[in-house]
Amino acid sequence: MSSRREFLKTASVGAVALAAQSVLGEIAKQGVVSVPGKEGLIIRSYRFLDLEMPVEFMADWITPVPHFFVRNHMFEPSEIDAKGWRLAIGGEVQKPLSLTLADLAEIPDRSITNTLECAGNGRSSQNPKVPGIQWGKGAVGNARFSGPSLKSLLEKAGVKDTAKHVVFRGSDRVPGKVPPFIRSIPIEKAMDSDTLVATHMNGVALTPHHGYPARVMTPGWAGAASCKWLTEITVQDKPADGNFMLPGYRMPNQPVKPGETVKPEDTHPVTGLTVKSLIAGPSNEARLKPGAQVVRGVAWAGEAEITRVDISTDGGASWNPARLGKDQAKYAWRLWSYAWKPSRSGDYSILSRATDSQGRVQPDAAVWNPSGYFYNACDQVKVYVQA
Amino acid sequence: MFKPRGSVFVFALLSAYALAGEDSPIAQLPAGPMQEKATAACATCHEARIIVQQRLSKAAWTKEMDKMIKWGAELDAPDHDALIDYFSANFGPDQPAYEAPRTAAKAVAKSRPKATH
Repeated sequence: MSSRREFLKTASVGAVALAAQSVLGEIAKQGVVSVPGKEGLIIRSYRFLDLEMPVEFMADWITPVPHFFVRNHMFEPSEIDAKGWRLAIGGEVQKPLSLTLADLAEIPDRSITNTLECAGNGRSSQNPKVPGIQWGKGAVGNARFSGPSLKSLLEKAGVKDTAKHVVFRGSDRVPGKVPPFIRSIPIEKAMDSDTLVATHMNGVALTPHHGYPARVMTPGWAGAASCKWLTEITVQDKPADGNFMLPGYRMPNQPVKPGETVKPEDTHPVTGLTVKSLIAGPSNEARLKPGAQVVRGVAWAGEAEITRVDISTDGGASWNPARLGKDQAKYAWRLWSYAWKPSRSGDYSILSRATDSQGRVQPDAAVWNPSGYFYNACDQVKVYVQA
Repeated sequence: MFKPRGSVFVFALLSAYALAGEDSPIAQLPAGPMQEKATAACATCHEARIIVQQRLSKAAWTKEMDKMIKWGAELDAPDHDALIDYFSANFGPDQPAYEAPRTAAKAVAKSRPKATH
């Protein structure tokens, strides 16, 4: 891991040009779009940038940064002067602070391995269709995030008894009259020592697409709780206002019929991720040779732990347990694998179903909701075994 | 006036790719009477790919368009219904799914100027 001192040294070289490069981009020879630092990802949007990881990349416990999905609501900051960067902490605190990167580096850092997933991951599978980025399966990745705990910063500022919610704002550029991306988390989650102001991802400084120079990392929760390009932390007695708290990023309080409209007062903010598994291989519509096969994938459950993953190779008629990978950490996904020897040639429907420590089981069909959040139906691939 | 600089920038960017004879990373809206007006109204803030991947009913398109007008999309009132029809016809629930491109598998090295002799 590169030292944080080295990070500061690099950061102090001067202003870092960010989005101008990604907006102009470069074009590869075969007409493939090049986004520097991002390799082989599915482009859900180029301007502003939203990139998805193909499921076949989900073979590593730690997702390399070039494969990690990107979810931007706005344009990335055009330029960040790391030397001039300040993190303001204010609101219901005894002593408002303005911290530099050097101040952050002096606070003991903490690392967590977190599976970060966009609340809208899997939205394209919702039926009826709902508006929003039409994510396939890969708005999710698992990385090691490091930086001071948010708690240590809030304690430095001294939160008052009136503190109930902590609001984050970043320096992404807001086009038109679009409301800025401002969201809050409850004080209990903010004061959890695992919630970080992260400066590093997989041992190196955050890249511009992931929130350089600092971002919130609210582990186990939907990605929207982990504000990038962080510049302001405001402690309040109430949740943040604005589009991205209401009506955005909310789930119905009660199950609704597909296609039904839900009143804002009958909803609550999205928080922890649900239980879910994905099949990374074989690929959907693969043609397999007869003989031994390995079905493999990932499974995660937000703040809970994966306790088992079951696999069906007959369309859900019978299930057998997969073997869970040895790598594990609180908030991190588990790799899993299942040895399979098809008994005949022909079509097979392979399903995966995860269960977690809270007793939640991945359902056959996901619960429909108007924004298409938390899609988590049992994953399925169809393959053909050719004798 | 709403963001004239942005429109000029998008136009310049598209022109640059056209001149270079390369595929643009920015998706285009399909041909039709509303193509130009839709591009002008939407592309200041986001590229067309965000539109072309949606598969929505007319009611849902109406709701999305009203939201975007509130957020700064500029559209003459007489074009309002025509634009909803254009989006609904091209990106309705029965259309096949949008096939998204990928980023290059490896970052492409910047082309360097040829050495002069």
